[in-house]
Amino acid sequence: MASANMKDIKRRIKSVKSTMQITKAMELVASSKFRKAREKADSAKLFFDALYDTMWEITAENSTFESIYYSGREVKTVMFIVIAGDRGLAGGYNANVIRLAESRIKEVQKNCDAVIIPIGKKAVEYFTKRGYRVVASYENIAENIRMSSAKEIADKVMAAFRNGNTDRVELIYTDYVSPLLQEAKTKSIIPLEKPAEEKKKNIQTSYEPSPERLFDIIMPQYIAGVIYGSVSNSFASEQAARRTAMENASDNADEMINDLSLLYNRARQAAITQEITEIVSGANSQE
Amino acid sequence: MASFRLQIITPDRIFYDDEAERLIVRTTEGEMGILARHENFAGALPSGPVKIMKDGNYRTAALSSGVIKVSADKTTIIAEAVEWADEIDIEWANRSAEEAREKLKNLESDKELRYAELKLKRALNRINVHSGNYKQ
Repeated sequence: MASANMKDIKRRIKSVKSTMQITKAMELVASSKFRKAREKADSAKLFFDALYDTMWEITAENSTFESIYYSGREVKTVMFIVIAGDRGLAGGYNANVIRLAESRIKEVQKNCDAVIIPIGKKAVEYFTKRGYRVVASYENIAENIRMSSAKEIADKVMAAFRNGNTDRVELIYTDYVSPLLQEAKTKSIIPLEKPAEEKKKNIQTSYEPSPERLFDIIMPQYIAGVIYGSVSNSFASEQAARRTAMENASDNADEMINDLSLLYNRARQAAITQEITEIVSGANSQE
Repeated sequence: MASFRLQIITPDRIFYDDEAERLIVRTTEGEMGILARHENFAGALPSGPVKIMKDGNYRTAALSSGVIKVSADKTTIIAEAVEWADEIDIEWANRSAEEAREKLKNLESDKELRYAELKLKRALNRINVHSGNYKQ
């Protein structure tokens, strides 16, 4: 009885240990990828912020400024670009962003149509399986996102907007706040989102060509920049989330191993005590 | 010579963040030179060379589509890619130009034409800047 119990515990310790090896390894991989991803996301943010400021300055400095990308138009179809991961085991990373996307889509579907461009395997699987209108999908581009792939997506978005297949474009991604906090967010791409604090400037700037033309020339670049920035930001979030999740898993495994070792030692002691009792009582009965 | 602050930002790095005395760029409307105390200006930049003068010496870089914004406190160029002439991978640029030319021969759509043209322009710009063989 006792020895069977001991064997059982030993087997469980072994299995927890091997799981812990996996989670430990994943934690290490995630933290090294995270460092790289973070740098990339940081420089992409600088680029994007500069581009966004320029776009806003154009609209703020010209009181008569008019652009379809700025003021928007009557909305019949909304396009959602949803960025999730290519892999699981990243804590709540994929679930959070998909949940937010789903609730936004449900909200929009009350009044108009929704089309979706999922980026990342998890998002692609989720939305294709559930019968959403997926117009294009991208997998395995997040880790080494390049401006050329961001531009390809931006071109699709622009074409859909120009052809009237979509009247508004929203992006749903995960913003990296800190190593412990990543937040799923939505951002409006078309029309251009207003900045948190609006600064009306009264500066005379000469534009070549006209402000409107310039705005329209920058728009595709801006959209590519937003996609590039959000994908790298999301990827950094994914790695951070995975690292935390795996750290917790390793800690839990460690705790479990401790508990199990205690149980194992108890069972071993009990077995020894029992054996001694048996021997002693056997000897006693011999006298 | 009076200098001004110049920042050149690309998605993967800050290419340039320093004082400059003179800047020559090619906008969609034509070539222009920028000195300190230039009027506020904004324009679009297609693929082309960028010349920056610092301490009396010119350095040339190849730029792939971007925007330039000149304001009182600084001049900012935001571009998809910028490389110094000596950083350019000439073999890659040659290959890229070859690919684009190949593509232009067997076109299937207007969109492809536009892509191939842009690709060829970028590649030729890099090749020209690398060899120092461009018209300024």
